[in-house]
Amino acid sequence: MSALDDFISFLTTMGFERFIRIFWFFVFFELLRYLIVDIVALLSNQLKLLLTRRKRTEALYRLRLEQPLVSLIIPGKNEGKHLYKLVMSLREQTYKNIEIIVVDDGSTDDTPIIGKDLQKNGFIDKFIRNNIRGGKASAANTALRFTKGSIIVHLDADCSFDHDAIEQIILPFYIDDRVGAVGGNVMIRNYKESLATTLQAIEYFDTISIGRVVSSHLGIYRIISGAFGAFKTEALQKIQGWDIGPGLDGDISVKMRKLGYKVKFAQEAVCLTSGPNTFKKLAKQRLRWDKSLIRFRIRKHRDVFIPNQGFSLSNFFSFSENIIYNLVLNVKWYIYFFDMINNYPSQLGYIILTNFFLYTTTNFIKFVLFSLFRPRRESLVYFIPYMPLMVIYFGYFLRIVRTIAYIQELFFKMSYKDPWNPQKTSAHAKELGL
Amino acid sequence: MGSIKINNEKGIVELSGMSYLYVSPNRPLNIDRGTNHAAVIIDGKTLEFTRMVVKRIRSSFHSDIYLKPIIILNGNAHRDPFVRELSDGVIYSFNQIELIQSQIHLINERIKEITFINSLSLEAQIITKLLAFLYSREKRDLDPIPSVISNTNYTFPFLAVHYDFKEEHNIFDVLEIARQEGLFISDFHDRVYLCSNCKSSHLSVREVCPKCNSSNNETFDIVHHFPCAYVGPITDFTNELDDHLNCPKCSKRLRHIGVDYDKPSVLHHCKNCLTSFQDYFVNARCMSCSHDNPVETLSPADIFRYKLTKKGEYAAINGFVSTPKDIEEIIGTVKYDTFKTMCKYEIERIRQTEGNSNIVGVNIVNSGTVFSKIGSSAQKELLRDLVASIRASLRSSDMITFHSSSIILISMNEIPERIADRIAKDIMKILQQLLDNNFKDFEVELKSSVRKLNYHLSAELQIDQMLNDFVV
Repeated sequence: MSALDDFISFLTTMGFERFIRIFWFFVFFELLRYLIVDIVALLSNQLKLLLTRRKRTEALYRLRLEQPLVSLIIPGKNEGKHLYKLVMSLREQTYKNIEIIVVDDGSTDDTPIIGKDLQKNGFIDKFIRNNIRGGKASAANTALRFTKGSIIVHLDADCSFDHDAIEQIILPFYIDDRVGAVGGNVMIRNYKESLATTLQAIEYFDTISIGRVVSSHLGIYRIISGAFGAFKTEALQKIQGWDIGPGLDGDISVKMRKLGYKVKFAQEAVCLTSGPNTFKKLAKQRLRWDKSLIRFRIRKHRDVFIPNQGFSLSNFFSFSENIIYNLVLNVKWYIYFFDMINNYPSQLGYIILTNFFLYTTTNFIKFVLFSLFRPRRESLVYFIPYMPLMVIYFGYFLRIVRTIAYIQELFFKMSYKDPWNPQKTSAHAKELGL
Repeated sequence: MGSIKINNEKGIVELSGMSYLYVSPNRPLNIDRGTNHAAVIIDGKTLEFTRMVVKRIRSSFHSDIYLKPIIILNGNAHRDPFVRELSDGVIYSFNQIELIQSQIHLINERIKEITFINSLSLEAQIITKLLAFLYSREKRDLDPIPSVISNTNYTFPFLAVHYDFKEEHNIFDVLEIARQEGLFISDFHDRVYLCSNCKSSHLSVREVCPKCNSSNNETFDIVHHFPCAYVGPITDFTNELDDHLNCPKCSKRLRHIGVDYDKPSVLHHCKNCLTSFQDYFVNARCMSCSHDNPVETLSPADIFRYKLTKKGEYAAINGFVSTPKDIEEIIGTVKYDTFKTMCKYEIERIRQTEGNSNIVGVNIVNSGTVFSKIGSSAQKELLRDLVASIRASLRSSDMITFHSSSIILISMNEIPERIADRIAKDIMKILQQLLDNNFKDFEVELKSSVRKLNYHLSAELQIDQMLNDFVV
């Protein structure tokens, strides 16, 4: 009982200044950026939506009147098993003027047979088989070369879509002519499959469904998910498609921004995807994703930080926010951790426990509060019991994975060795610093 | 060696008591005159003419004509497989007739051994003819002949003469019936594919655009430039100045396939509908009806080599009675044997009463063509309709029978010949109207004959005389 008494005494005798000193990391970064700023931005966004309601209605009317051809491109390798379900979900779309182009990037399974069959039966418009694997970017570019639509939507084969998802994702192009790309709202379909997928679902609610509404509203939205992203064809043609990945979706979003196009997030354009069902697979996925921060933000697009002719303040802030809240804070967290070990070694247990309590409470408040701002609230009760685990998931698991990824990429340029992309192309990308 | 007598005016060649009908392009063609001669000699200088005459002879349904030995004078036409299969020899001058006389004699002797039994269905008639032809020629094998002039690419000339070019595929059905009846055994020879629309085998197999079926296409390599991931047809990389390939995205020159670029696939572009696609459709365009057949919809037809069985040989001698496709007795008719018996009694009766009775024959002149065009089931319907129409014009005591599917015989007893003649003309008018109404695409030719029964002659002889009126 004395430990509990000590802990209560630790909390009650702390005082404001000491609280800030000990929990500075939580107060200044987590609480400020991910709760206060988010809430303000969400409220502001809601207000904007209210004020621009008429504009949205007019845009929707114009869209339905014009009915532009939308090209849905689905590049992938060994994705044949997902194609039927995907195509069925696309055939259910309220928006009908679509062409579906599937590119098989050198699959070694039955994808060619399935794709040709779907094409023969009129379920897809074009199936292109590349006998030699060239990587995701080349497959997407193959599709791009043969699209006819004025808007191109890039999809992942293992996704399915709400019946109005296509209409919702192309609507922003009609609300604002300067929009060049729109990201869809990706959610986890298999959230009940395992603990790993449940925690990812909660993470996606936070970082995608809410996080991207905020960043889009603030004009710093910087990554259009490869699973569901729409692009103006003329904009894609200007940048001549995707560059070599991994991380090509973030890369192309940056290139869009550099061209002066706005990049928006469509919260109502819901896409369901399957998350990795084990922590090992999840770690592998995130190692790949996190490396792209170093490769693309720090290296390839470092010119964003240099004031020159093409300098853009929003791009500067977008990148800065990204780097500060991912790379710098990741380092700072370790500084904070050593700060605590160094200065409060005897109270470390209480600090960890308090942090755990603070983060869990914040997460819970965010989760409940943000639910008011996102679609699909019906299953939220399911996630409540898992909220305490999010501290470990966010604070330790993802942070450690991120740290490893940054080290691998900063010092060893490991992304160029990732088998996700064929070596023949990665070697050139490395040589050219792409 | 006897002396050859050539009567150019009549077109008759005589040697050693045997006469031959000589047919050449520059004299009137009258095939039925061949019945009075041992064989027909055809001037074979012109292939078309020779083919036409041979076809006319072999397609007849009169045994005195279709089994007649045919000799080709001058070997040119004889080199044609169709003519060779249907003729019995070749000579290069009339002097060589002596060399083939024994063979002709042998054929005619074997013909005499054959019993001819009439069948109603076209298939049964053709099989009967085929058996008789093979038996009279001492042949047991029936082999398919590859032929560009056949609509099915393989032909059996003796069967093909019965069908129009477009209906030639029916010979496979006829042969299958004969095989199922045990008259032939078969060995697989080849397989042909037939147009799903018209059953022709004259197909042009082409790679076509899957969207518009056009064969007006061009093919491009798809090029993938590794450094920038640009992918496009090779035309995106070419320029008009030199043969180098330059990337349209990053402007780099492509240098070494496999190192900085590769060609992961090819793409076809349709110049007709401007569609791009990777897999051609393979279509077979029918050269007869222009129908575009996806190859999977073509009808396969197996081609067999046939060999006459003992049963087939026996059927040739004793008459091939019927096939499962033969037409069962048509209501309102009596069997041919019954008709003959009743005629016999009628002759006896008029001998005593000195009354007037007649037999009337109605012949569908181009029956082979008609039946091959309309098929077996329609043939049955047609014969039923004809009988019903005839029956409506007759008294109930008058009898109707089929001598064959092309010849209907009617007895008209106890009426003067002129009345019988008038009734026959009325019947012909009705029948012709019926046929004209039913067959718009082609003409069905009818011929009739009325013969007053003579009690000095036998019933069989008088029927045969009437049938001779219909010999084409």
